[in-house]
Amino acid sequence: MRRAAAARGALVLAVAASAPFWVWNPYHLHTLIMAGIFAVLALSLNLLLGYTGQLSLGHAAFFGIGAYASALLTVKLEWSAWIGLLAAVLIPALAGWGIGRLALKLRGAYFVLLTISFAGVVSLVSVNWMDLTNGPLGIPGVPALAVALPGLPELSLRSKAAFFYVVLVAVVAAYTLCRRLIASRIGRALVALRENETLAQSVGIDGTHYLVVAAVISAGMAGAAGGLYAHYTRFVSPEVFLFTYTVTMVIMVVAGGKGTLSGPVVGAVIFTVLPETLREFTSWQWQMLLYGVLLIATLFFMPRGIVPAVRDRWRRA
Amino acid sequence: MDQLLQHLLNGLLLGSTYSLLGIGLTLVFGLMNVVNFAHGEFYTLGAYAAFAVLVGLSVNFFLAIPLAIAGGALAGALCEWLLLRPLRGASIDTTMLVMIGLWIALQNGELLAWGGVAKSVPTPFSTTPLALGPVSVSTLRVFVFVTSIFLIVGAHLLLARTRLGRAMRATFQDRETAALMGVSIERIHTVTFALGAGLAAAAGALLGPVFLLYPSMGDLASQKAFSVVILGGLGNFVGAAIGGVLLGVAEELGAGYVSSGYRDAVGFVIIVAMLLVRPSGFFARAERVG
Amino acid sequence: MRRAAVGVAVVMAMLLGALAPATWAQETVKVGLIQPLSGPVAASGNYVRMGAEIGRDWINGRGGVLGRQVQLLIEDNKSDPKEAATAAEKLIVRDKVPVIVGAWGSSMTLAAMPKLEEYGVPMVVETSSAATVTKRGNPWVFRISPPSEMEAVGLEKYLKDLGIKQADFLAVNTDWGRGSVTAFGDLLKKSGATVGAVEFMEQAATDMNAQITKVKAGSADTLFLTTSVEQITLVLKQAQEQRLVRKVITTGGSSSPSQLIKQAGAAAEGTLHILFFLPWFPEAMPDGKLAKAFVDEWNKRGHPFEGLTEGFRGHDGVLTAVEAIRLAGKAEPKAVRDAMWQVSVMGVNGPIKFEKDGPAGKESGQSKPSIFIVQIKDGKIALPSFAAKK
Repeated sequence: MRRAAAARGALVLAVAASAPFWVWNPYHLHTLIMAGIFAVLALSLNLLLGYTGQLSLGHAAFFGIGAYASALLTVKLEWSAWIGLLAAVLIPALAGWGIGRLALKLRGAYFVLLTISFAGVVSLVSVNWMDLTNGPLGIPGVPALAVALPGLPELSLRSKAAFFYVVLVAVVAAYTLCRRLIASRIGRALVALRENETLAQSVGIDGTHYLVVAAVISAGMAGAAGGLYAHYTRFVSPEVFLFTYTVTMVIMVVAGGKGTLSGPVVGAVIFTVLPETLREFTSWQWQMLLYGVLLIATLFFMPRGIVPAVRDRWRRA
Repeated sequence: MDQLLQHLLNGLLLGSTYSLLGIGLTLVFGLMNVVNFAHGEFYTLGAYAAFAVLVGLSVNFFLAIPLAIAGGALAGALCEWLLLRPLRGASIDTTMLVMIGLWIALQNGELLAWGGVAKSVPTPFSTTPLALGPVSVSTLRVFVFVTSIFLIVGAHLLLARTRLGRAMRATFQDRETAALMGVSIERIHTVTFALGAGLAAAAGALLGPVFLLYPSMGDLASQKAFSVVILGGLGNFVGAAIGGVLLGVAEELGAGYVSSGYRDAVGFVIIVAMLLVRPSGFFARAERVG
Repeated sequence: MRRAAVGVAVVMAMLLGALAPATWAQETVKVGLIQPLSGPVAASGNYVRMGAEIGRDWINGRGGVLGRQVQLLIEDNKSDPKEAATAAEKLIVRDKVPVIVGAWGSSMTLAAMPKLEEYGVPMVVETSSAATVTKRGNPWVFRISPPSEMEAVGLEKYLKDLGIKQADFLAVNTDWGRGSVTAFGDLLKKSGATVGAVEFMEQAATDMNAQITKVKAGSADTLFLTTSVEQITLVLKQAQEQRLVRKVITTGGSSSPSQLIKQAGAAAEGTLHILFFLPWFPEAMPDGKLAKAFVDEWNKRGHPFEGLTEGFRGHDGVLTAVEAIRLAGKAEPKAVRDAMWQVSVMGVNGPIKFEKDGPAGKESGQSKPSIFIVQIKDGKIALPSFAAKK
């Protein structure tokens, strides 16, 4: 059983890794890169939503903080983009720690609203604090990633194919991190908390402590996605905090299958490719309307998400 | 001093509209446990419905509003029956996502039907403002304020004094017992959602003429509604009513004396403070929030 | 094993499906158009689109360009910079357009600009007014709309007649609003007037009463207003409710005074507006006949009259793009870009000719559009007495 799963994983990875060779159109490669960035985001949200059961509707804030952190450090202080990425992980993780500690005993709808408010404040700060973030003008000219090994010329990772591999590595890293986490003691504690917090606490599992751990890792991952985004699109503006990004993330996780590991990744790919496919086949007036209808239909036929539904179908077959 | 008085008046008027938005959502979110992201869309529907009958059918302004409310309630009942009822046992996240899908579909449907250009609604009120000493207010806004109060009080009486209201409260407190007592659970769900949608539509029909109509007008309304619901306590009707006014006044004073750019931040900061200090809302009795 | 294969097959099917080429378009010359067709500024984006369509139809009626018909490929940027960049990429890579017109808002244009450089495709900027658009050193950008600084210069000659001693500013919280505040603020200070309160409003905000109350408490005689027509309507109405008495000047050219008269009524009385097109007096434009023909065609198509003050931008954008293609002799992006520097056409707004702007070696193109000022008097548009032309 274990070997079959590993073989499956290897096949999927091989196909993905070969993508730049058979995806001729750079625009499609662009779509896949965005799907990858969103996959990391969806995995991070899934940690909270799928495994602790708490919904964060402010995840776009961690994404945006990561993007801004990396952009500011590389543009204003001219640090290396890799340090920028590191900051993109650490600073949102710090914020995640803050949220986790602030939330303390909050659960459910109250936690949701705390995250929404946090995101709202961060968004407003990014627009109004001109000195720090340049406000609505945004930060253009974020440098691309480059690999500078001593003795060799600098290898710029600006091309789409190169960046695709960076993102692929990030997705694999995020997936692996989640997987190890879930299998570890921390993961088991999270699941115990999700299923029945009172019972879990009665055997000595400190709900708040584990929630903070989950929040920190989740925020850090989302920040990493933000950093990648900043170095790919090379322009960061307050619109990264738009609520639609959070909504898209939630769609990917829940429709993909929350609480599973491949669900968010599948969700990310499908719901990044879907709007682009709709853009091809329909005029701009109908694109989003169809998107909404398709979303509803997906949930009607697969209420627990796509991956669980496909798994069930497989098991029955 | 004059400036302060005007700010307070602005805040009171603004707050009453927030209250109207919040009480509809607290019923659906607080009682039915549905994270209704489409709440703002019923607000928009109400506004466009009023516009349609007013301009298209030349109906009297004071008749257009109840018609719009009825339309909103009907749309709400339809959505509940079509979308929520089949998913009755599903998790809260699934219903939330269905509501998100509804939100996207409705908003883009409105964009398709009405176009992106903002519309203004003609009203029978004069545009010269009333002068109350040092402060000014328009007659339309006074009308909206008074009507909002009526609607809030009316809805409250419905919930607190009528048999239907009692059945609603019973269902959401303890479903099995309510069912055993003869309450039709399915019908109560539909009625509750329709009531929430109808109140949102009322807010839209009333506020449409004050501002302008455009397809994304519901997004801001949704945001404020969620804030009000938390301020007042989930499912707490009176709390939402008072919470709305508090939010409006706080925002107005914040924008007036602190910074207009950070205006919305005032609301968020209050919410964060609330959640840390008294999460169940200003007015709820202490309850488990975790 | 099978599940992975099925999954891969599904993904590939979607990708291949999305690859469906638009083969019939080989005979046409394509021009891309990116505008906000949904979201808070959807009205403006749609007006520009309507103007662009008129431009395309007129050109095709005259035989097209290089012996082929012009095809306009329209993308919606949803008022979101990320979508603007994606739309640019799609137009360039999938549809292989040699030139784009867009993207309305300054943030959206700025977000699309790296794509222009990456693929080497020129863009005609028809509305954005942030200075950074042409100062960033992107040699693929050609702007026909005035940056805020140019607008302020356009107002300079009327300053004495306006008699401004102290002015407040209320602007939308975007780079456009903020840039405008800086540009006009500097102009005022240069001429000896002072700047009073500077307030901002979020793009989607509907209640500006707090800001208006603050303005009312001050002692300025003028209020500069920079935002789209919907918010201007709300501000004027709310100002009327609070009995604010000021001279109001709107900037940016998106104020659509006809729509203001319809929706704000008496609240708009006496207000002044900086515009780049006068659909009420087309004869006063540099090419009166062209302007009048544009207005007539617009009305014939049943488009709302209020949209004319923005719709012309689409026409002039497409006109410029096609002229560059004609001069280049081929629909190839680099040739079109080089030809842009030779473009000298008469648009609805006036003569379009690009001058170098920005850091040496990487200049963008900036044209010098005509700037006008009108006033709403007795519920109608009039040229203010000090600006009346014969």
